[in-house]
Amino acid sequence: MTNVSLSRRNFMQQSALWAAAFAGAGTLGGTAAQAAREKELNILCWEGYNSAQVLDPFRSSRGATVKAESLTNDPTMINRLRAGETSIWDLINVNNPWARKIMLPEKLIKPLDRAKFEPFFEKMMPAFKPPYQWAMDDSGAQLIGMAQRFGPYSFVVNTDKVSRATAEDQGWNLWNDASSAGKYGILESDDWNVFCICCIAGFDPFKQHSDDEVAKFTETAKRVFKGAKLVGDIATMNQALVAGEIDFHLTGGTYSASPARADGHPEIRGITPKSGPLAGGKGGIAWIEITSVVNNPTLSPLAEDFLAYVQAPDVAHTVAFAEGTYNPVAQMGNPDCFKLFTKEELDAIQWDSLAEEMDRSVEYDIVPDYDKLLDIMTAAKREASGG
Amino acid sequence: MSPGFRASLPVVIFLLAGFAAPLIAVTWFSFMPARTFSFAGAATLENYRTIVESTSYISFLWSLGLAAVTVVLLAFIAYPVAYGLVRVFGKWSMLVTLLFTIPLFVSENIRLYGWVLFLIKNGVLLGTIKSLFGVQAESMLFTLPAIILGMVYVYLPFMLFPMSLGISMVPQDTRDAAVDLGASRWQVFREVELPLSMPGILIGCLLTFVLAVGAIAEAKVLGGQQIIPITHDIEIAFTYAQNWPLGAALAVLLMLVVGALVLLVLRRFDLDVLLGRR
Repeated sequence: MTNVSLSRRNFMQQSALWAAAFAGAGTLGGTAAQAAREKELNILCWEGYNSAQVLDPFRSSRGATVKAESLTNDPTMINRLRAGETSIWDLINVNNPWARKIMLPEKLIKPLDRAKFEPFFEKMMPAFKPPYQWAMDDSGAQLIGMAQRFGPYSFVVNTDKVSRATAEDQGWNLWNDASSAGKYGILESDDWNVFCICCIAGFDPFKQHSDDEVAKFTETAKRVFKGAKLVGDIATMNQALVAGEIDFHLTGGTYSASPARADGHPEIRGITPKSGPLAGGKGGIAWIEITSVVNNPTLSPLAEDFLAYVQAPDVAHTVAFAEGTYNPVAQMGNPDCFKLFTKEELDAIQWDSLAEEMDRSVEYDIVPDYDKLLDIMTAAKREASGG
Repeated sequence: MSPGFRASLPVVIFLLAGFAAPLIAVTWFSFMPARTFSFAGAATLENYRTIVESTSYISFLWSLGLAAVTVVLLAFIAYPVAYGLVRVFGKWSMLVTLLFTIPLFVSENIRLYGWVLFLIKNGVLLGTIKSLFGVQAESMLFTLPAIILGMVYVYLPFMLFPMSLGISMVPQDTRDAAVDLGASRWQVFREVELPLSMPGILIGCLLTFVLAVGAIAEAKVLGGQQIIPITHDIEIAFTYAQNWPLGAALAVLLMLVVGALVLLVLRRFDLDVLLGRR
C-alpha cells in the first residue's frame, strides 16, 4: 500500500501544476520573429501550397523563410486581410470570384505585371487562354492573379452503391428522394453546402433570392441535415464511403474524392449532374483557384517570384499532387507538364471525365445573400441535432 | 511601492496581458455590430438579442448536458482507479499512471480518429466480429453514445489525477484509527475516506466539467456532427459566418454560464472548509 506524504498545501500546488500542465500543452508555440522582407514570404492559401514538397525547393533556392498558412474556406482568408493582415501576407490563394469581385475593389490585392505573367496563360489548358476572366479586373485591363488548381465540385458517390449514370441523371434530386435519408453524409464545407442546398431546392444559388426561395431553402436545409448520417471533413467522408457507412455525400468532387481514389478506391467518384437549376440548365459547380499578390505596404519581392515558380511544369505537377488532396492544374495544357502525370494520377483526378464535367458546371460565384442563407443553414443543422 | 507588490509585478503584468486582456477584448467585441471586424463600432446588444431569439439554447444545453454526463460517469469510473493507484497497485502504480499519461502526448484528434477506425463499420471491432462470426452489426459511430465515449476517454486523466491526489491526502493513521474503533470497510470508506478525499473529487469534477463544456472534437469526429455543441456554434461564427461579434457574444455567454455554475458549486462545497482552513 502506498501512503503518499502530502500536505493540504502541496496538494493544491500539485493540482494546480497538473491543471496548468494540461492546459499549457495545447497552447505551446509562438510566432517567429519577423525577418527581413527580402528573404521572407508569407502565403495565405488552401492546403497544398503550404506543403514541404512545394515550398522546400523554393526556400533552399532563394535562401528564404517561407511561411504558409492553410485555411479551408475563402471568407475567413478574405476577412483576415480585411482585419488588417494585409501587412503580414504577400500572396493569397482563394477561389475564383473573390479576387475580381471583392479583393481588388476593396484594395486588398494589387495587379500583377501583365507583360510578365500573361504569357503563362498561353501555355495553360484552352479554358484558361488569356484574357482569362477570373484573372482579370472588370475593365479587362489589369491582370490580378494566376490560375492553377481547379475542379468540378458537386457531390460524391460510391459507384458500387449508386451508379455514375444514375447519379448524373438524378442529380440534386438524389437528396429529394425520401429513401436517401440515413444513407448520406455532408461535407463540413458550409459555404459550398449553401450552394448545394439551393440546387437541391431547385434554384440558382448565385443570385439574390426571393422570399419564396428563402422559405424553400429553409425547408430543404432542415430536411437535408435531418436525413444526414454524419457531417464531417474529407477524411471522414471518404472513410465512411469506403467502410459502407454512407453511399454518397453532399459537396464534393475531384478535390475531395481524389485521396480515396489515389488510395485504391476508384468506386469513390465525384459526380457532376447532367442538368440542374444553374445558369444555362447546368447541373454542377466548379472552382478555380486564383493566387494574387496582397496589397502589402512592405511586399516581399519574392511574391511575384513564387507565382512564376509554381508555373514551371514540374512544380505545377507537385502542386497538383501535393499532400492532402489531388487536383487538376491549368498547366496540364502544357505537354511538358502533362507528361509528368502517371495513369494512376490521372485516374485519381478523374481525367477521363474532367472536360465534360467542367462543361456541365458553372463557375463558383458570390452568393449575394450568403449571410442570410448561411445563418438559416446553421440553425437547421443545430435544430437537426435537437432530436 | 511595497516590496511585495514590486515582486508581484511581473506576474501581474503577465496576467493582465495574457489573461485579462483577451477576455476584455472578447467581451468588448461581443458588443460590436454584427459582421464587423473593428473594436471601434457603436456598442450594441444586437448580438445578444440574436442569440436569445435563435435556437442557440439547443447547443448550450447539449454542451452543459454532455459535460455533466461526462463528469458523473468519470466520477464513478475514475474513483476506483484512483483508489487503486494510491492504495492497491503498489509498485505497479507508476506503470498504471504512465498508461493513463502517455496518450496525453498524442494529439486528441489523432486519438479520436483512432476510435473512428476502431468503431467504424468493417473497422477493427465490427470487422473482426464479422470475420469471426459472420455477423454484420450496426456501428455506434456518429451517435450520442459515441460522443460520450469519446469525452469520457479524453477527460479521464483530468478527473483521475486530482482524485488520486485527494485520496492520497487521507492519512493512513485516520483510516487505521477508524478500523481500530470498529468501523466496517464501508463505514471507513463512507465516513473517512470519501469526505477527506472530497477536495480531490471536487477539483477533478470542476476541472473536467469546465474542460468538457468546451469540447468540440468528440462531437465532430465521433458524433459526425449529429450534435452541435456551443463551441461548434462559436467556431462557425468565427469561420464560415465571419460574424466575430456573434461568436464573441456566444463565448461570453458560455463563460458566464460556466462561471455561474462553478461558483454555485463552490458555494455549496466550500473548498476552504473542505481543506480545513476554517
